[in-house]
Amino acid sequence: MKSYVAQRLGIAILTLVGMSIVIFTLLRLAPGDIVDILFSTAGYVNESEKQAILKELGMDRPYWIQYLDWMRQILTGDLGKSYRYDVPAWEVIRPLVPVTIELAVLSIIVAVVLGVPTGVISAVRQDTTLDYVLRVLSLAGLSMPSFWLGMVIILGMVSWLGWIPPLTYVKPTENFRAHAIQFALPALAVGYRSSALIMRITRSSLLEVMREDYIRTAWAKGQAERVVIWHHALKNAILPVVTVIGIEFAFLIGGLVVTETVFNLPGVARFLVQAILWRDYPIVQNLVMFIAIVVILSNLFVDMLYGVLDPRVRYGG
Amino acid sequence: MSRRRATISFVVVSLALVIAFGTPAISQTPKAGGTLNITQREDLPQGFAIHETSTISTVWPAMPCLNNLVLFDPLKKTESLDTIIGELAEKWSWQDSYRNLVLFLRKGVKWHDGQPFTSKDVKYTFDMLREAPDAPAKLRINPRKDWYTNVQTIEAPDPHTVIFHLKRPQPSLLMMLASGYTPVYAAHVPPANYRTACIGTGPFKLKEWRKGEFVEFVKNPDYFVKGRPYLDGLKYIVIAERGTRTAALQSGAVDVAFPGETTKTAAEQLKKAVPELAVTPYSQNVNDNIIMNMKKPPFNNAKVRLAVSRAIDRRALVQAVHQGGAVVGASMAPKPHGFWGLLDRDLNALPGYGKPADEKPRAKQLLAEAGVTPQNPLKVELVTRAIAVYVDMASFVINELKQIGIEASLKQIETAQWHATATRGDYQIGANLTGIGPDDPDANYFENYACGSPRNYSFYCDEQVMKMIEQQSQELDPKKRFAQVAALQKKLEDDAARPLLDWKLDYFVHRPFVKNLIPHQSIYNFGRMQEVWRDK
Repeated sequence: MKSYVAQRLGIAILTLVGMSIVIFTLLRLAPGDIVDILFSTAGYVNESEKQAILKELGMDRPYWIQYLDWMRQILTGDLGKSYRYDVPAWEVIRPLVPVTIELAVLSIIVAVVLGVPTGVISAVRQDTTLDYVLRVLSLAGLSMPSFWLGMVIILGMVSWLGWIPPLTYVKPTENFRAHAIQFALPALAVGYRSSALIMRITRSSLLEVMREDYIRTAWAKGQAERVVIWHHALKNAILPVVTVIGIEFAFLIGGLVVTETVFNLPGVARFLVQAILWRDYPIVQNLVMFIAIVVILSNLFVDMLYGVLDPRVRYGG
Repeated sequence: MSRRRATISFVVVSLALVIAFGTPAISQTPKAGGTLNITQREDLPQGFAIHETSTISTVWPAMPCLNNLVLFDPLKKTESLDTIIGELAEKWSWQDSYRNLVLFLRKGVKWHDGQPFTSKDVKYTFDMLREAPDAPAKLRINPRKDWYTNVQTIEAPDPHTVIFHLKRPQPSLLMMLASGYTPVYAAHVPPANYRTACIGTGPFKLKEWRKGEFVEFVKNPDYFVKGRPYLDGLKYIVIAERGTRTAALQSGAVDVAFPGETTKTAAEQLKKAVPELAVTPYSQNVNDNIIMNMKKPPFNNAKVRLAVSRAIDRRALVQAVHQGGAVVGASMAPKPHGFWGLLDRDLNALPGYGKPADEKPRAKQLLAEAGVTPQNPLKVELVTRAIAVYVDMASFVINELKQIGIEASLKQIETAQWHATATRGDYQIGANLTGIGPDDPDANYFENYACGSPRNYSFYCDEQVMKMIEQQSQELDPKKRFAQVAALQKKLEDDAARPLLDWKLDYFVHRPFVKNLIPHQSIYNFGRMQEVWRDK
C-alpha cells in the first residue's frame, strides 16, 4: 500500500512538472501580455514605456530563467507577485480557494444525494413510469447547462421574490444563514447537472450487477429486497459511480467559471478567466497548478477508495 | 377686527402655500447617513491610479477618494467653463491674457494619512503628468500627457498658491483640470502606491478592496467641506455578468448602475419591471468612429476615405445597432447633449450625413474616380476589438461598404492587442470607439487628431488643421471659438479624417431614493459622490 502511494506520488510530481511546462509555454504562446493590457486601459501604446514595464516585471528575461524562477518560488512557498494587482499572488489566490472547494463539495453532495438514490430506484423499477420520469429528469439535467439553470434561478428569484442571493462573499462566521443561502442555490444548479450523470451511471451499473449470478442466488435465498439491492448489488455497482464522482469533483474545481460568474461568487475559476484575460502569469500559473494538484489528489483518493469498497482490489508491487 | 381677520387670512394663505409648495422642498432636504451599493462592471484595472488609465472602470470607483483642483459642479448636468467649481483650489484667476493661471488653495486640507495638503502636491502631480524634466516622479503609463503640452512651468510660490505658466493662452485648460481624470496625488506617496491603495483628500476613505469582489469606502470625517459627504459609505460591487447586474438592480441589491452600461432596451425592460426606478438618458461622450490608416493604400487616398464616410448611413446604424440609443454628430458631441455640437442644418450638409439615396451614389462615384470598379473591386480587412459593442458596429459598417463595392472582411482583435494594433498602424480600416474626458475641443483634438499623438490612430496630419486646433484653443472670445470649432468639425469630416458615426447615449439607472447623483454629458466626471444622499 505504502509503495503504491509513493509510486503514485512520484508520478504526480512528474505530472505536475509536465503540467507546469505546458501552462508556462501556452501562456507565452497566447498573443499579448500584461503590458499590452495595461496600455489597452490607457488607450495607446508606447514602445519605450512598454520595455520599461517589461523590465520592471522581469518579463524581459529569457523564458527558461523565468520558468526556473517560478519553480524556485513554488519550492520556497513564494508564488510571486500578481502583475495586475501588484501584491503577492498568494494574497490574491488564498481567499478564492475555500469558496471554490466549498461550492464543489456542496455540489457533489447534492449530486450524490440526488443521483445515487434515483439511479437505484430507476434500475430497480426498470421500464416503469417512475423509471421513465427519472430518466427524463436526468436527461434534462444533462442537457441543461448549469450556468443557464443558475441564471433562470436568479431571474426567477428576482421576478417572484424581488430578491437575489448576496452579491459579495459572506463568511459563515459572519452570517451563517446568508452564507448557506449564497452557496445553496449554485450548489443546486451545479449539483443537479452532476446528479444526472451519477444517476445514469448508477442505473446502468446496477442493472448490470443485478443480472449477476450471485444476485440471483441472493434472491433465491429469500433475502429482502433492501438487503439484495443495498448490500449486495449496490456495493458492487458503486465502483464506476465513485470514479465519476471523483472526475466530477476534479472538474468542478476548475470548471465552475460561469456558475461563479452568474452567482457572483469569488472563486478560483472566475478569477482564473480574468487572470488569463489580463495575462497575469503568476496568478494563472499558480491557479492552474492548484487545479492540477486537486485533480491528481482526487484521483488518488478515488483509487484508494476502490480498495475499501472492493476487497478484491489490492495495491502494491 | 379687520386687522385680525387679515392676520388670520395671511396665516391661512401662508400655510396653504407651504403645504402646496413647501413640502417637496422639505422632502428634498438632504439626509445624512446610509451606504450606497454601486455596480462595478469589472475589477479596478489599475487600482486607484486614475492617471495611469483611461477607463471608466478606474475613474468611477476611484473618484470618491480623491479631489481635483477644480471640478464640474456635480449638481449641474452641463459641463462648461461656467459650471466649474473649486475643490482643492478655493478660487483661481487668469492673468496676462490667459497665459498664467493662479490657483489659491484651501487651507487646512489633510490627506487621508493625516499629512497636510500643500501646493507642493499640486506641483508634484502636474510636473509628473506633463513629464517635466525635473519632475520628481514618473508615471509608468501616462495617457494624458498631451493635455498639458501647453504648460511651460508650474510655480508654487507659497504652500497655498500655485501658478500654471502657459506657453500661449488656453482658457480651456480649466476644463481638463475639472475632469475626473485629473485628481491631485500626494507628493509623499509614490504614484505606484495608487495601484493598490488610495491616499487622497476626497470625501471618502478607502476601507477595503477585496480583489474581484468589491471596493468599500467610509466617510472621511476630516473632509474639508463641512457637512459633506452625506453618506456614511460606498460599496462598489464587482458584477461581471450583465444578466446578474440587471437582476441586482431590479431586486434592489444595488442602488446605482454602472455608467455607460445600460442600453435603451435594457433601461426600458428595467423600467417595465420596476417602474419606480429613475432612468436618465445622457451622452456618454463616447463615439463610434471609423479609423483608416493613411500611411498605407488604399486609405492614403482621400477619395476612398470619403467614399467610406459617405457609404455609412449613420441614422440607420443608430437604429439597428443602438436601437435608437445614440445620436448622430460630428467630432464634438451633438446638441443638446454636447455644448459644441453642430446645428442640424450644418450637420446634414457634411459628407455622409445626408440622405442615403444621395450619399451612396456619390460614394460609388468617388470610388470610381479612385479606380475602384466592379471589375477591380476593393478588398479590405476591417479590424475591430473583439467586444460585442465593437463587433455589432463593425458588422453594420461592412454591410454598408458592400453596397458601394468595397468587400470588407472582419478581423476581431483581442483587447490585449487592440490598442497596440491601432497605435502601430497594423491595419487598413477599423471600427473604433473613442471616449473623451471633458466635452471640450482641446481634450478631443490634441489627443485624437493632432500630428504625432499616440491616439491619432489614423495618422491623420494636416498643417491647416493643426493651426485651427491651436487657434481655437487660445481664442478668448467664446462666440469666435464656437465658430472656429464648427469650422474644424467640418474640415475633419470633409477630409474623412476619422469619420464619426454616432455618439452613444447611456440610460443611467438608480433607485428613486438616491438623490443628487446627476449624470453629466460625460461619464468620466460625475463620480465624486460628495453631494449624494439617500432619501430613505
